[in-house]
Amino acid sequence: MKTDDMLNVAKILLEYLPNTLKLFFFTLLFSIPLGVLVTGLKRCRFKPISWLTNLYILVMRGTPLMLQIVAVYYAIPMIVKGAKDSVAANGGEIGGFIQFLDDCMHSESYMFVALIVAFSLNYAAYFAEIFRGGLEAIPVGQYEAASMLGMTKTQTFFRIIMPQVVKRVIPATANEVIVLVKDTSLATIIAYAEIMLKAKQMMNTYSSIMPLFIAGIFYFVLNAVVTAVFMLIEKHYNYYH
Amino acid sequence: MSILEVNNLSKSFGDLQVLKDISFSVDKGQVVSIIGPSGSGKSTLLRCVNQLETADGGEITVDGIKMLTTENGKAVYAPKKTLRDIRLRIGLVFQNFNLFPHKSVMQNIIEAPVHVLKKSKQEAVAYAEELLEKMGLTGKEKSYPCELSGGQQQRVSIARALALKPEILFFDEPTSALDPELTGEILKIIKELAKERMTMVIVTHEMEFARDVSNHVIFMDGGFIVEEGDPSKLFGDTQNERTKQFLSRYKGTN
Repeated sequence: MKTDDMLNVAKILLEYLPNTLKLFFFTLLFSIPLGVLVTGLKRCRFKPISWLTNLYILVMRGTPLMLQIVAVYYAIPMIVKGAKDSVAANGGEIGGFIQFLDDCMHSESYMFVALIVAFSLNYAAYFAEIFRGGLEAIPVGQYEAASMLGMTKTQTFFRIIMPQVVKRVIPATANEVIVLVKDTSLATIIAYAEIMLKAKQMMNTYSSIMPLFIAGIFYFVLNAVVTAVFMLIEKHYNYYH
Repeated sequence: MSILEVNNLSKSFGDLQVLKDISFSVDKGQVVSIIGPSGSGKSTLLRCVNQLETADGGEITVDGIKMLTTENGKAVYAPKKTLRDIRLRIGLVFQNFNLFPHKSVMQNIIEAPVHVLKKSKQEAVAYAEELLEKMGLTGKEKSYPCELSGGQQQRVSIARALALKPEILFFDEPTSALDPELTGEILKIIKELAKERMTMVIVTHEMEFARDVSNHVIFMDGGFIVEEGDPSKLFGDTQNERTKQFLSRYKGTN
């Protein structure tokens, strides 16, 4: 491949970088809070909720993300359509909610929504386990000291436990975020126009594997930035151990 | 006037009964040491009195407020609000300090006064400074626990407990995590508190210290109070065989 072509490939990939970044940031935005929620549900004393949460984590971690993307993107609209058809076949009125879902799934942004749903559900399961690990690593003495000082459970959690958990989960979270940068490429399975999809198309156009390597550089640079950010965060929490 | 009264306290972990029919009382200004071999139930007793363990039966009264009673053979605890009220009248110093690692010395000490007692920060800081001076830690306000020696950390945790101005201060083997030199620092502080007539209950393995500092000594073994009384009597000429046997080991080393 000629240098000009390579520059051209890089330029085109750069145009699709925002789509990759959009997927990355929206996934983080939803999966981290969702992960906190899942950690809480898993520790719920009402056993059925805890079991259901375990099942959710098992499924999310136990099946390929690629399959989950396909499931959300194709299977859910089919179920909605099925529901709509069966209501219609029975001579019923199409309810407002079913119609709303159906409209959503025909809208242009549904592909992106489906991706965010699939990615967030998947990553929340991993984050939940990281957060649980961090939470369980806090010595019971911290809870006892707080309760001896008359602190309420809420105060203990937000003032004593959570700040320590945050510090402990940073390295594992960094790991997961780095994987997420690369996992955005799985969105090619439903033809979301991000870096990897374009790289694959240009591999065909130029009959060369070079575009794939150039895409690789993009991911590498992104992850260098992610790594640097997490190093700064770790440094910020370095004032104690 | 007794400030702590424990009657017929019992506690089991599964099939293992660790406290059997424990009764004792502590008067205001008294320093009580609880001694005994490991596994004798000393720490569990302290933890039951401090609400860190749930007792199975008996009665506990702190500062005139009933914390635990037994009705029809079942342990009944006071309402939550009362328990919290009691908790603020007592302080506990842990064996391994349990300082908050992410907070500075000053933040550790003012945490409860500001956020639990809702005192102004200014007032809390002023009292904390006073306590730190007493603990010989002036200048360490901004340090974090990880930057301090074990002895210093334990002194911070004593200051943290004192910041709530408790009626009674409990110590759960306060020197067991420290080397002999640092142990001395802590014992000195406890002696000073004793001079100020602070009511204290101390679980300890430091026999000499227990004899010197306390007005009353309780010897526990196998979940029972085997013997209790005046330190000079208990350490001097106990008539109890088990106490003699236990103390003889310490006399050998001291």
